[in-house]
Amino acid sequence: MTIKIRFFARFRELLGTDIVTEPGAKTALLGLIKEIAGKNREGYDAIFDENGSFREFVILMRNGKRVELVDAATVIVADGDEIAVFPPVAGG
Amino acid sequence: MIRIQKEDVDIGSLITAAKKPGTGAVVVFDGIVRDDGITEMELEAYEDVAVPEMEKIARAATEQFRLLHVDIIHRIGRLAVGENILIIVVSAGHRPDAYAGSRYIIEEIKKSVPIWKKELTKDGGRWVPGEHGHGSGKHG
Repeated sequence: MTIKIRFFARFRELLGTDIVTEPGAKTALLGLIKEIAGKNREGYDAIFDENGSFREFVILMRNGKRVELVDAATVIVADGDEIAVFPPVAGG
Repeated sequence: MIRIQKEDVDIGSLITAAKKPGTGAVVVFDGIVRDDGITEMELEAYEDVAVPEMEKIARAATEQFRLLHVDIIHRIGRLAVGENILIIVVSAGHRPDAYAGSRYIIEEIKKSVPIWKKELTKDGGRWVPGEHGHGSGKHG
């Protein structure tokens, strides 16, 4: 199973982007992002608070569709998924 | 034309193309890199999501404000002070719809299109904070 994780803006600077990973079966979104973000302490702290919960401003998408933060622990990733993690948007 | 691109655009030719039959007003919004003590601005987009989101905003504006034509060109990459960031060109039969449609489009872009700006300074850089509580995909 292959999953691509894309970080943007400050998260990208700290963690890189277009990270291809091969998680085991029944891996939830929350655990997967924690594992990848855990490779850089500052990157992890930018996304998660001291309790290991997503900071409230973090935006998650799976295949271009928004995933609510509260659902990240129960959403199971599937082969070919593209996961995006980013801070609030600031275009215009 | 709904696009994210590095290159600038010829606003004059966009205005010409916006003058569809029935047009009584064209409104141009041109967002520009402001001189806030920065050297440059760097823009980044999640294009796979940002373009469809801008297309959705354009469709909603067209329907709501009876627009006859909509262009949205959002630039990315490194831009110098004074350069164009975002160009919105809309046409309508009457000016109230053209003004309101243009305003609607820029405000919706700021809320939901995944694009980020970093202000580059002599000492490094700072990400422009987004509107807390907003983000792409809220409308599906």
